[in-house]
Amino acid sequence: MNPVLPDEAAERGATATEAVAAPGGVDVARRAEADPSVRAEVAATLDALGLADLDPRADALTLAAAAALCEAAGRVALPYPVAGALLADGEGRPLAVVPDESAPVDHGDLFPEWRVATIGGTGGVGTPVGARRAARLAPFVTDLSVGAGDPPPPADVALHLALTACLVLGTVDRAVELAVEHVTGRVQFGKPLSAFQAVQFQLADCAVAVAGLRELAHFTLWRIDTDPDPLADVLALRLQALDVARSVLRTTQQLHGAAGVCDEYDISVLARLVQPALRLPWGAERTASELASAIERDGFAGLFPHGRAAG
Amino acid sequence: MDFDLGEQAAALRTRLRELIATHVAEDSLGAFTDDPADLDAAQRFCRVLADEGLLTIAWPTDVGGGGGSLWDQTVVREEMWAHHEPRGAQYMGLNWVGPAIMAFGTEAQRHQHLPAIAAGEVIWCQGFSEPDAGSDLASLATRATADGDGWRISGQKVWTSYAGMAQWCVLAARVGEGSRHEGITMFLVPMDAPGITVRPIASMLGPHHLNEVFLDDVLVGPDAVLGEVGGGWAVIRRALAHERVGIARYARCERLLSALGRELAPRWDDLPPALHAQWARALVQVRVARLLAYRTVHAQATGEVPDALASAARIAITQCDQAVAEVLFEALGATSLEAGSSAPLHGAIEDHWRYAQAATVASGTIEVQRMIVSKALLAGAGP
Repeated sequence: MNPVLPDEAAERGATATEAVAAPGGVDVARRAEADPSVRAEVAATLDALGLADLDPRADALTLAAAAALCEAAGRVALPYPVAGALLADGEGRPLAVVPDESAPVDHGDLFPEWRVATIGGTGGVGTPVGARRAARLAPFVTDLSVGAGDPPPPADVALHLALTACLVLGTVDRAVELAVEHVTGRVQFGKPLSAFQAVQFQLADCAVAVAGLRELAHFTLWRIDTDPDPLADVLALRLQALDVARSVLRTTQQLHGAAGVCDEYDISVLARLVQPALRLPWGAERTASELASAIERDGFAGLFPHGRAAG
Repeated sequence: MDFDLGEQAAALRTRLRELIATHVAEDSLGAFTDDPADLDAAQRFCRVLADEGLLTIAWPTDVGGGGGSLWDQTVVREEMWAHHEPRGAQYMGLNWVGPAIMAFGTEAQRHQHLPAIAAGEVIWCQGFSEPDAGSDLASLATRATADGDGWRISGQKVWTSYAGMAQWCVLAARVGEGSRHEGITMFLVPMDAPGITVRPIASMLGPHHLNEVFLDDVLVGPDAVLGEVGGGWAVIRRALAHERVGIARYARCERLLSALGRELAPRWDDLPPALHAQWARALVQVRVARLLAYRTVHAQATGEVPDALASAARIAITQCDQAVAEVLFEALGATSLEAGSSAPLHGAIEDHWRYAQAATVASGTIEVQRMIVSKALLAGAGP
């Protein structure tokens, strides 16, 4: 029993965090919104980090390193489809998991072809149609048209869901740090906001939620490595990531006051740009429903049997 | 990373489940019911565990214990709590009174108390909280005054679990004029000493859980002091350290969530889809609580446990307890309020809901846990 990330994965994570943040942190996302071609610089940074050689399907250590890279991306709202690109096929086509035949994909315009999968096991090859939506909550989301082709394997879909949850982990972890910085520096009624117990308690709840999500992410990576069909596990991780994001982002924005919705503050940009990861291919309630079905069918690892396995 | 507790822990879990299946009635809800026979059953089960060497599996081998690892202890905590703590009140003596006597006791105290605790023959209670000293335990006012070479103790304790059935109490009292932590001294007091009055407090938890204890000039000898006179805070800290992870509430939550579908069949499929989703969410919450507990145990096994981590685990575990109680009640619908052996799952869900209401208060309120987490977070060292 050892719930701690291996040193090598932690080191690679630290390196990724530093490298991904170095070009300007969340400013890179701001620049990319103004000029989407900035994403080419991001691709170059990720290339230099060796993204192409980081295949999450290879082994547990590489998966952990890939998860760390996604977490690093989530901390700065990195304007690039990192999880999908990590799961590219031999022809360099990234993976997208989509709700059904409609296929909105974050940064869908960045690649001429995608491997597209639904959780139901269908899919094919996707190509971008139309322009980026340029919406405030989805500035890079582009619709794909799905044509014929072999659907990606379920194992890749599971990895995509898990890696996306790790990206969300990075975002909420950073959101709590930003809130701590803000309430420590901001003085009202003659004292820092952090001196108010109402503020402290909200921060504590956020920190507990993020700590729990981190443990669950590590556990899920281990399940992916040891269980041939970890769908219920990755759905559980996605559900927890979405639930935690909903409460932690809400709270940390609130603790920023009006600044929480202003794009010159990182918290606002993070809360906006993580939305495609939270809503696509589906949000928390649909995930919970899918999870319930998966547990009833396949069970759920724990101290006691669940679903059909429980009789 | 490896989340497998290992073969030894798995074998221990299997053995404990076998013993429970053999010696504990299927509809047992533990020792603390209105039926005194349940107390006797708990005492009998403790002797079964003692005979197997499992009662003191966590104790060092040099005092006759099993020398089990922290993970063995975790398995015991999980299995006992999942099955309604069939040891009854014994866990207090085993988990911290015994270890505290090992650490702070005299040779005579060790000789007198440890074998009795190890044999499951004696019930202890813990005299810490007072009417004006709850979360702020260091403000306790029960006073011990020197009398000859012994002590006279007067004061009042409250929320004292099992006081009505306990033979012994570890009592915190103040000696001298020191304030706060100064002067606090621990005493080992027989509950049949003249001057002790126990008054049960009626509560939704059921009998035996909560009591008031009045101490009126209770005379004890010099050998009643555990550790140094004035050194009681160190003993209390040790006691609280044993409660770092707290009760494995998540284990009972998971067992009840596991049994729910079976209990409701064939109506399970007719439940609103939203309830299926809530059930799935509850299982995730249980998993997260268990993982935070494991993270804390791992920290304990490899060094010091950061305060913020232990408190984070407790917050997650106690909130999980209450959330699961709600999901279970929602799923049962109108039958949720039924109690007793004819109720769903022999009343286990109704019992769980009532007991869960105290989860965020018992052994340190959730507010105190939040204070600990936020203090660390603002100092740059979150959980």
